[in-house]
Amino acid sequence: MTRKILIKNGLLIDTLEQKETKEDLRLADGEIIERGSGLKAAQDEEVIDAHACWVSPGLVDIHTHMRDLAQKDKEDLHSGSKAAAAGGFTTVVAMANTEPVLDSSNTLSLYLQKIASQAVIEVLPVAAVTKGLLGEELTNMVELAQLGAVAFSDDGKPVQNLVVLRRALQYVKMTGKVIISHAEDLNLAGGGCMHEGLMSTKLGLPGITSASETVAVARELEIVRLTESPYHFTHISCAASLDLIRRAQAEGLPVTVDVTPHHLSLTVDSLENYDTKLKMNPPLRTGKDRAALIEAIKDGTISAIATDHAPHSGLEKSRSFTEAPFGITGLETAFSVCYSELVLAKHIDRLKLLTLMTSGPAQVLDLQTPSLRPGARANICIIDPNYQWTYEAEEGYSRAHNSPWDKKELSGKVLCTIFKGQIVFQASQLAGRH
Amino acid sequence: MTEQTFSTVHLSQKAKELSKLDGLGVQLWRKRRHLLDTDDLSSDELTTALHAAMLCKEMMKSDGPQALLAEKTVANLFYENSTRTRSSFELAAKRLGATVINVDIASSSVAKGETIIDTGRTLTAMGVDALVQRHNCSGAALQIVREFGEDVQVINAGDGWHAHPSQALLDYFTMWEICKELNGAKIAIVGDITHSRVARSNIALLSRLGADIHLAGPPTLLPDDLSKLGVTVHTQIEAAIENARFIMVLRLQLERQQQGLIPSIGEYKRLYRMDHARLKLAADNCKVFHPGPMNRDLEISNSLADDAKHSLVRVQVQNGVAMRMAILYLLLSSR
Repeated sequence: MTRKILIKNGLLIDTLEQKETKEDLRLADGEIIERGSGLKAAQDEEVIDAHACWVSPGLVDIHTHMRDLAQKDKEDLHSGSKAAAAGGFTTVVAMANTEPVLDSSNTLSLYLQKIASQAVIEVLPVAAVTKGLLGEELTNMVELAQLGAVAFSDDGKPVQNLVVLRRALQYVKMTGKVIISHAEDLNLAGGGCMHEGLMSTKLGLPGITSASETVAVARELEIVRLTESPYHFTHISCAASLDLIRRAQAEGLPVTVDVTPHHLSLTVDSLENYDTKLKMNPPLRTGKDRAALIEAIKDGTISAIATDHAPHSGLEKSRSFTEAPFGITGLETAFSVCYSELVLAKHIDRLKLLTLMTSGPAQVLDLQTPSLRPGARANICIIDPNYQWTYEAEEGYSRAHNSPWDKKELSGKVLCTIFKGQIVFQASQLAGRH
Repeated sequence: MTEQTFSTVHLSQKAKELSKLDGLGVQLWRKRRHLLDTDDLSSDELTTALHAAMLCKEMMKSDGPQALLAEKTVANLFYENSTRTRSSFELAAKRLGATVINVDIASSSVAKGETIIDTGRTLTAMGVDALVQRHNCSGAALQIVREFGEDVQVINAGDGWHAHPSQALLDYFTMWEICKELNGAKIAIVGDITHSRVARSNIALLSRLGADIHLAGPPTLLPDDLSKLGVTVHTQIEAAIENARFIMVLRLQLERQQQGLIPSIGEYKRLYRMDHARLKLAADNCKVFHPGPMNRDLEISNSLADDAKHSLVRVQVQNGVAMRMAILYLLLSSR
């Protein structure tokens, strides 16, 4: 059933055109068909009153773990995509470290079928760089790209052998796709479970030195220099890594960076109570690192925000801090967290924030850039920036509840998400606006 | 009320004295419910703990078990092998008349899928009053408190590399018997600091008392940012122990060599073993501590370990029972 929708009285923030206008939007047949002031509602149109709200292209997340397959207890494509919709996302990129790994045409085809039948928004899969994420043999990259892989990554089990990485970066050129790097030297990280520093010393927990990331960034940059292949660093956490990437970008190397909402908003100091909802990899770093990440957003080194949404079951996260798995959920809270930390804190304006969550990440992977132009896909999110709310993970859509923002008060909320002209999420607060 | 009167009649003189302890420190101990680390113990609580431990030590010499905690059940829940700490807590609880159960679960045998929360829940459901827990993961005791803190009192008998408060308190008690004022006293802690909960809890406690704490160990066994804990860090044992009033020698786990953290046991002995020759650098009346179990002739020479003039290892063991009686009494006695 195709619905016609008229969005009235909102502030349109078009991140492609980099313009803000007070206009209305008319949607039909999955597309934006008209944009203008004082549009009149037709008989068969549903009207959404977006006064005091922002109307943005649907958000894009290029780093999520949608799980499914053998890990439905953590998340499945339906619950994960519903959570994404609740967070304002209309496109998410799903990592390859599923069980089994997305490293063959069979598994990828199965995953694509599941996406088609279960996801409520666009879910684009990443395929593995190496078979089984073992860091040894390359996957059939060309075949996987033709099937629908939008990028390649061994996220979670990064390629350690530089010969393998070099070949991957050479070979991937045939696909035109980007390799996404989880930059970490596993020997240096050495079984740590939090940032190495004063707090890990106090808590008596094995640390993960910042050098484990920075060393990997340094050597991977040299392979990029060698191969001239586009390369994307995801979830960068350390100031020193940013310095290296900034310099490489200035030299013209084709490298991009994303950062997570949690590294932008939290630091290692919050770990005092061994809360496993604050355990992720890379770990929360120092205040100095956090400040450097914000600085890198301001100067453009970082062009995308990505959640690294990593659902885990309550049972797994109820283990002790050393035993619990890495990862936190983030789709439902990403906008609100970043809005508070970046816009309300006056580091960047709203247009820049939404750019980092729409066209910024889309351009990293060369995905269709979302926009509010007539003719564009009707992928839209409506945000009330003044709405104060308390996130309740149990009442959210993700199957997992491992969020550090559970029961925390947040500012700004996604009220409605429209995917291809269909409302895929609406908050109860929107009800009075119809 | 009648029960209280009845049991008091049968108490020894020292036990009666213990039962009549009062004041802010006693109130604070009862209010805290749990003992997870030494970093949040107030000076009133510390003074009270010393006083109570002193009485308990006298009770150990002259009295049989006293019915001070007769209505209480204490579960020793040890996920990590520890003959001495477990026996020490068991004896302490029995001397106070409590019912004790020992639950030994070697970490390896905990079935996959079973968590410390499950085990904690089971024991709490059985109506145990206190859990004395030892676990190889840092933060494990806090985890139990977060889940069941309302229903059961938790005493941390060691969590990973993080904390071992009863050991630090018994070490403090042992020092206090010799030297009442630790403010400004030079205390050296020597060996594998990274993996030592004994070191961490002692640093937290002794630094608050104003002790001049010096640590020494190979750089690979000194955790990051250690000096920010308000201690002086050395890599040479000589600098740490020079003129020291007390020296705490830590146990070296033999697997540290296999992990590549030290090149060889031989080199470690040569650089860090505490012996009579090195003791000459320390203050004349210096006393040496070891939390046990000792690797004789590895971190401490055989002859120094047995030299009662300088080694306090045996006193530590005695005081361990007394201090654990004090801890159990102060946390569990209700009034």
